[in-house]
Amino acid sequence: MSIEILIYSYLAVCMAMIMFNIACVVVFRVSDRRIDRMSRGFEKAIRKQVEDGEASEKEKKYLLRKLKRVANLRAFERTLQKIEEENPELVYSYLETASSVFMELSEKYSRKNALEAAFFPYLIREHGLFRGRDPEPVIRMLLDMVRNQSLYCRENAMEALYSIGNAKAVLAGLTLVDRSDGFHHAKMISDGLLDFAGDRNELDELLWNHLPSFSEVMQVALLDYFRFSSGDHKERMLEVMTSEDTPDELRYSCIRYFGRHRYEQAYEKLLHYARITDRNKWEYPAIAATALAGYPGEKTVGVLKGLLESSSWHVRYNASQSLEILGFEYMDMIDIIESDDRYASEMIRYRLDQRNLKARRRGSDG
Amino acid sequence: MVNDYLFELTRDILMYVNGFFIIYLIGYSSFLFLAVVIGSSELYKKRQQEILKSTLHKDYYIPVSIIVPAYNEEVTVVDTVRSLLALEYTVYEIIVVDDGSKDDTSKKLIEAFDMQPIRRPIQRKVSSKPEEYVYETTVDRIPLTLIRKKNGGKADSLNMGINASRYPYFICMDADSALQYDSLSKIVRPVIEERNVVAVGGAVRPSNGVVIEEGHVKEYHLPSNLLACMQTLEYDRSFLASRILFDKFNGSLIISGAFGLFRKDTVIACGGYDSKTMGEDMELVVKLHEYCVLNDIPYSIKYASDAICWSQAPERLQDLCKQRKRWHIGLFQSMWRHKIMFANQRFGAVSMVSYLYFLIYELLSPFIELAGVTVTVVSYIVDLINVRFMIAFFLGYAVYGVILTLTAFFARIQTIDLEISVSDCIKAISLCLIEVAGLRFILAFVRATALVGYNKKKLNWGRIERKKINVS
Repeated sequence: MSIEILIYSYLAVCMAMIMFNIACVVVFRVSDRRIDRMSRGFEKAIRKQVEDGEASEKEKKYLLRKLKRVANLRAFERTLQKIEEENPELVYSYLETASSVFMELSEKYSRKNALEAAFFPYLIREHGLFRGRDPEPVIRMLLDMVRNQSLYCRENAMEALYSIGNAKAVLAGLTLVDRSDGFHHAKMISDGLLDFAGDRNELDELLWNHLPSFSEVMQVALLDYFRFSSGDHKERMLEVMTSEDTPDELRYSCIRYFGRHRYEQAYEKLLHYARITDRNKWEYPAIAATALAGYPGEKTVGVLKGLLESSSWHVRYNASQSLEILGFEYMDMIDIIESDDRYASEMIRYRLDQRNLKARRRGSDG
Repeated sequence: MVNDYLFELTRDILMYVNGFFIIYLIGYSSFLFLAVVIGSSELYKKRQQEILKSTLHKDYYIPVSIIVPAYNEEVTVVDTVRSLLALEYTVYEIIVVDDGSKDDTSKKLIEAFDMQPIRRPIQRKVSSKPEEYVYETTVDRIPLTLIRKKNGGKADSLNMGINASRYPYFICMDADSALQYDSLSKIVRPVIEERNVVAVGGAVRPSNGVVIEEGHVKEYHLPSNLLACMQTLEYDRSFLASRILFDKFNGSLIISGAFGLFRKDTVIACGGYDSKTMGEDMELVVKLHEYCVLNDIPYSIKYASDAICWSQAPERLQDLCKQRKRWHIGLFQSMWRHKIMFANQRFGAVSMVSYLYFLIYELLSPFIELAGVTVTVVSYIVDLINVRFMIAFFLGYAVYGVILTLTAFFARIQTIDLEISVSDCIKAISLCLIEVAGLRFILAFVRATALVGYNKKKLNWGRIERKKINVS
């Protein structure tokens, strides 16, 4: 009997699932139509308000009441997107006049669950809301969201902070991310910082001053950001790279920095890393070999040729790649090609083949 | 007297056996139920997250190498590579490994993409048969490499691809499949979202009946071929739903060979693909579990239900049987080789749930199901069965299977913005019953006999009839 009850209850839940499916079809379709309808309404209102200039209190109240619901906020966002495609200036000036509404809305959304709350910072980022301003309640709300356990909520909030462009708020956000237990991939930090819309010099200065207070993972992410953002950090990078206390991962990041941004004062140190023969530290010569491609000269070629005989595949591979970038010719490498070191010879032959291939392709394209 | 005793004994045995089957079916039903309910809910939750932009909407690119092992794929390989070149992803390379094909697989590729021979040294990080020649080219700044090697099987070809790959993550896929335009950004997402992800499985969907243009689905219909159509339904119920469920507790034991992402250093550390097994895809995932647990390495294996790969489902029963036979032998080999995971607390839920499920409801299920049918017949003969109850039970079970299948099917269709016609809906509903009550038993028989004549040294690519995929 109990088995039968179990089977029937399973069947009942399955029927409920089917009903749920059907309901979903209906809800998705109806809500899509509703959002379209609402979106058209918002469009009219926005265009009228921009024409009239400042929004009236009544309009602001109406907007606040409407946008409290996330479904309506979605329709509103759709409208902004549509208008933005035709006239971004219009959206910008509209958002300026209605900013007090969004200031109030931020407080409402901070009380919603993570799923719904995440939409508000998305709107800020997507449409440059509060850009270049210092909207305290909004920043407070975003920093609150950075503490959230949901990765998406955290990341949306961080992206909104980058978009607003307040350096101190970004620093505070990064500190919270660093201290939280949740995982936040270093790539999200370094890529996200590149979108910072405020005064980059101010942000960089703040990040450098607080660098030691961050965890190693966050420090690597910040150094990676500096690498991709500009070549203005050479002196500080050299300082970090040469400091005895610097952990390996940070030093690798510095070496990569000098591979991207040439700095004569770092050259000797790069050669030093390239000459490290300790097998357990093969990463140093491997990364330095790549970086040295930006430092042409006899010394560099000599060191790179030497690295072709390394026991590490990666070191040989990177050294041969750098030699190719430096523009070596067959005759320059004849000593290696003809040498007894098969691995080195193979690697160089490969690079020569690749060069011929590229030349051929350029020829056929041109 | 003796006869009476024997009759009584038979009745007692049959009673226990019938009891066992009822418990077995209830167990399976409960699992399916959980899988479909959790799987469908998860799909709806994801859809809601997408709508409310509660996802990573920015693309974070992790460089990946796509490895395409190919054997006698001259019909499909060029289209497959073209579809890969159309992917919306910035940093990736494509490596096609021709496993000593007897047809013009390599020639077709060389001609189609104007590839040039190159003397490329390849580091042997995992074992593979030697290469015969290497060709390279770059198409729209995407490096494309062709490695022709001595025949050694799919696993051996994948190992060669790993050896030649230059990026820290690699993707394995089949030469007769097509990836959806956003599949790479979707499959790398779990690596960005979570710590210690060593592998991510993609969602494999039958491409029969689907028209794909530059990685975008332009037309979606259920396949006109009934067998392929039933497989579409089966994929949703058995693979999609259960994989989402296993994903909840890091218990995935299979990542389909048609589409999976792996962290290269971890795969190399555990020896790469095993070329002595038929189910190299499952073997690798089970091996990753074992390697990480025994070495106390924190890890997770994820499933990305929105990273989609379109793959051809066999349209002939003969091909389908061949495919399932291969899968079953592969399953047996992996489970036997990693029997250390059986009821071993050290492996936690992977052992107590995933391994046990695969053992009872995948490996042994065909035997149990066929034995069940036999016992039912015998019970009927000895008048031990309430016929009305039996019919009601099986009907209930079939309806239950149908409802679950439809639930999983419609949940998928609705949550990924696909629209299907009313005729396809009717087709799905009517074919469900045939799939649950007919095809399932045929495949159970095929799987039950899979190990008959099994030769562990005999390895081949398991050919099915190839057709061009509808990609342009």
